[in-house]
Amino acid sequence: MIDIVHITVPWWQVALLLMLGPAVLAGAVAGLRRLARARVTAGEAPDWSVPPLAAEGGDTLLHRWDVRCKIVTILAYSFMLAALSRPQPAVAAIGISLLVLVAARASAARVLIRLLAIAGFIGMFLVVMPFTVPERNGDTLIVFNQIPWLGFNLRGLGLAGTIAAKAVAITLLMEPLLATAPLPVTLHGLSRLGAPEMVGQMVLLSHRYLHVFRHEARRMADGMQVRGFRKRTDLVTLRAVANFLGMLFVRSFERTERVFDAMRARGYKGRFPEPAEPRLKPGDLLFAGLWLLAGLTLLVWDRMPS
Amino acid sequence: MHELTPIAPPVEHPDPLLGVRDLHYRYPDGTQALSGIRLDIAAGERIALVGRNGSGKTTLIKQLCGLLAPGSGQVYYQGRLLQGEHLEAGRLTIGYLFQDPDDQLFGHTVLADVAFGPRQQGLSAEQADAAAREALKRVHLADKAYKEPHHLSFGQKKRAALAGLLAMQPQVLLLDEPTANLDPRQEQVFLDLLKTFNGTLICVSHDLLFLYELCRRAVVLDQGRVAHDYSLDELVTQRGELRAHGLDFSFRLVLTPEADEAPAERGPACAPMAAEPTAAPLVTLEHYVFRYPDGTLALDRLDLGIWSGERIALVGENGAGKSTLLACLLGLQQGSGTYCFDGRPVTRRLQRTLWRQVGLVFQDCADQLFCASVEEEIAFGLRQLGLARAEIRRRGEEVLAMVGLEGFQQRVPLHLSGGERKRLALACVLAMRPRLLILDEPTAGLDPRSEALLLEILRGLEATLLLVSHDMFFVQALTCRTLVMHQGHILRDTATADFLQDRNLGNLNGLAFSYRQRGSDAIRALQHAHEQRHVHGHRHAGEEAALEHAHVHTHRIVHSHPGDDQAHEHPPRRFYGDDLPDHAHDPDRHN
Repeated sequence: MIDIVHITVPWWQVALLLMLGPAVLAGAVAGLRRLARARVTAGEAPDWSVPPLAAEGGDTLLHRWDVRCKIVTILAYSFMLAALSRPQPAVAAIGISLLVLVAARASAARVLIRLLAIAGFIGMFLVVMPFTVPERNGDTLIVFNQIPWLGFNLRGLGLAGTIAAKAVAITLLMEPLLATAPLPVTLHGLSRLGAPEMVGQMVLLSHRYLHVFRHEARRMADGMQVRGFRKRTDLVTLRAVANFLGMLFVRSFERTERVFDAMRARGYKGRFPEPAEPRLKPGDLLFAGLWLLAGLTLLVWDRMPS
Repeated sequence: MHELTPIAPPVEHPDPLLGVRDLHYRYPDGTQALSGIRLDIAAGERIALVGRNGSGKTTLIKQLCGLLAPGSGQVYYQGRLLQGEHLEAGRLTIGYLFQDPDDQLFGHTVLADVAFGPRQQGLSAEQADAAAREALKRVHLADKAYKEPHHLSFGQKKRAALAGLLAMQPQVLLLDEPTANLDPRQEQVFLDLLKTFNGTLICVSHDLLFLYELCRRAVVLDQGRVAHDYSLDELVTQRGELRAHGLDFSFRLVLTPEADEAPAERGPACAPMAAEPTAAPLVTLEHYVFRYPDGTLALDRLDLGIWSGERIALVGENGAGKSTLLACLLGLQQGSGTYCFDGRPVTRRLQRTLWRQVGLVFQDCADQLFCASVEEEIAFGLRQLGLARAEIRRRGEEVLAMVGLEGFQQRVPLHLSGGERKRLALACVLAMRPRLLILDEPTAGLDPRSEALLLEILRGLEATLLLVSHDMFFVQALTCRTLVMHQGHILRDTATADFLQDRNLGNLNGLAFSYRQRGSDAIRALQHAHEQRHVHGHRHAGEEAALEHAHVHTHRIVHSHPGDDQAHEHPPRRFYGDDLPDHAHDPDRHN
C-alpha cells in the first residue's frame, strides 16, 4: 500500500504553476544579467558564453596557493559536494563557496556570468523533476482537477532544489579555481598533475581564438542579413547555412595555419614556455587539508540520520 | 607592353646579411610562386618589396624567415644556409610581422604574448617579462599588458604584435602590409616606431607613399621573378613601370586642392550645399541615441539628413561611432530617437526590410562572400528579393560587366584576388539596386591598380552614396559632403572641399596625413614631367632616304630635379612608350 498525500487543486493552477517556473527563471536570469552588465567595465562587451579567464593580479590566499593543490582540492571537494543528497548540507555548501569567493575577492560580475551559464540547466531540473520523479511512500503530490495523471511531487521539487544548490555551490568555486591564476599557469599545473601537455596547449589556443571566430561568424551573419537572409525552415536556408558553416570552417582552417606559422616564426618548437616553476610549501598542503576536511564534514552531516 | 628599363645587374654585397640564390618555389597545388630569385640584402638596408597581388612577395618573405623551404636554390642568412639548427637560431633573430595581428597574438594576455619570443630565446621568465614590458613601452602599450588581445583595437593589436617582435631584438624585420586597415593616427604611430628600428627591414606593401617614407631600396616582383631592383626614388618616377606592375599610385598625387590637376581628377561635380534643401530626405535621424548593452554610449543625440543622389563621406577616428551608425542605418541595431527612411519611421517591421533599400559593402569582403561560385554569390541577394531566374541572370551579367568581372560566373569567390573580391562584393550589392549604397573602407587591402579600377567604377555609379573611409583621396574623389564624427556626435557637416582644407579638423580626428602630404610633394617633384620641343632629324621608316627631314618634335619627359637652378639630365625615358630609336641614346641637357 503506497502512502501518498494528495492535495487537489483547481486545474487552472497547473497552467499557473507551469508558467510560474519559467517566469521566475526568466526573471532571475534577467536580474543576473542586469547585475552582471552593471558590473562589467565600460567599453568591454560582456560575453555570456565564454567567461574571461585571465587573472588580473591579486594577493589573496587563493592567489598564492600552489596551483596543483588548488586544482586537486577544489576538484575533490566538488566531487564531495556532488555526492550530497540532502538540501541542508547543499545550502551550507553554497555558504562555504560564498566565503571562498569573498576570500578570493572574486569579481561579482564574472561569478554572475557563470551562474547565468548554468541557469538553463538548473531551470530544466526545477521544472521537470517535480512532475517526473517516481512516487514513493510519504510523498506529497499536488494533483490538478480533471488531470489526475499529472501530479506535482514536492519531493521532486526538493530533489531538484538539492541538485540546483550543489550545482550553484560548485559553479561558484570555478571563479576561485580559474581566476586566481593565469590560465597558462592553471593549465601548466594540470599538466604537472599528469594531464597531456598538448591538451593544455589546445585549451589555451582555443580560448584565445574562440573570440576571434565568434567575431568572424557574427560579421558573416551580418553580411547575410543585409542581403536579406532570414532563417526559415526550407532548403534555401539549409543551403545558405551550409555555405556559411563551410566558409567559416575554411577561414578557421586558414587562420590555424597562419597562427602556426606565426608561432614557428617566433621560435616555437612544440612546447610553450613554462611559467615559473611551482614550489609546494607546507602551508599549501595545510590549506588543502582544511578545505577537504570541510568537505568531509559536509558529507558526514549529509549521511547522518535526520 | 611597358617601357623596359634596362635591368641593372643585381645589387651584390661582399658580405650580405641575407642572400638568395636561384630560388625557385612551387606550391603543392602546382602554382609556381618564385622563379630564379637572386637577391642580396645588406645589414641595415630598408627594402620595399612590391608587386601586384600574386607576384610572390609573401612567399619570398616566408622563404627569408624559413617558414617555407626552397624548392631549389638557396637562402643564406649571416653567410650560412638557412636550414637545420641555423634556421632554428635564425628564426629567433628574424621577426616576421603578419598582416592580420590576430594570427600573431596567440597569448592569452598581451604581456604573455610579447614574452613568448624572449622565452623561446632562452631568457628566464623574469628576463622575458622585463624585455616584454620594455617592448610594450616602446609601442605605447605598457598600460595594456594584462589585457586579453581580443579586447584591443586593431591598431593596438598591430602594435602589440610588433612589440612581440621587438622584444626579441631582431636583426631583421619582415613586414607584411603593416599599415593595412590602420587609421591615419595609428598609421603614423606605426611609421614612427618602424623608423626607430635600427636593423634590416623588408616591407611588403601596396602603399607606396608609406614605403617611400620608410624604405630606400625597392625590389619589384613580377610573376615570381625580380623585375627591378633599384632605389625607391627611381621606382616612383617610372610611371610606365609602376603601371606595368599594377603599382601606379600616381592618381593619388592630386590630393591637395592647390594641385593643378584637371577638374575631372579632383572629384565629383558638386553643387553648393544648400542651407535647407527643399526635397524630403531619404534618411532622417533626429536625436538618435544608441547604447551598447554594457552602457557605452555609441551614438549621442545624432541629427542627420541624407538626400537622394547625395555623395557623402563619413570620417572620424576609430571608435568615433561610424560602424555603429552604419549598423543602425542597416537595421542591424536599433537605438532610440527618430529614424525615418523615405519619410517613413523605421519601426521593427520596416527594420526587417531595410536590406531592400540599403546596401553595404563590407570593409573585409570575405565577410559577405560565402557562396561556392560568383554566380551564386550574385544570385543570393536577388533570390531573397524574390526575382525570377531570368531577371537574376540578367542582373548578374549586368553588374559583372559593370565591375569588370565578365566571364567570372563559375569562378570560386574564395580564389579571386583581393581586388576582384572587392568588386564582386560591390556587384552583389549593386545587383540589388539599393537606394542607399554604403561603402565601408573600400580601399582596405587593395593594390593601386585595383584601387584605380574601383575608383573608376564608383565614379560612374549613380546612387546615393555613403562612403566611410580614412582614405582622404577617395573622400575627395567621390564625395561632395563630409560628416565628421567624433565620440558619437556628428561634429561637422560640411562640404568635402572645405573639410579637406581644414587642417584643425583633420588633426582632431587623426585624419591628417602630414607624412603622406610630404611624400606626395616629394614624389610629384620626382615625377616632374614637362613637354620639351626641339629640332631633330626624322627618318620615315621604310621609305627613301630623300624623305628624311628635320622638324620640331615634342617629348614628354619625366625626370628628377636636383635643384631649381642646377643643370640636370633627362634620362632617355618617356611616359608612354614613344619608342624612337634615334633618341634612345641621346639624353638632353637643359638649364
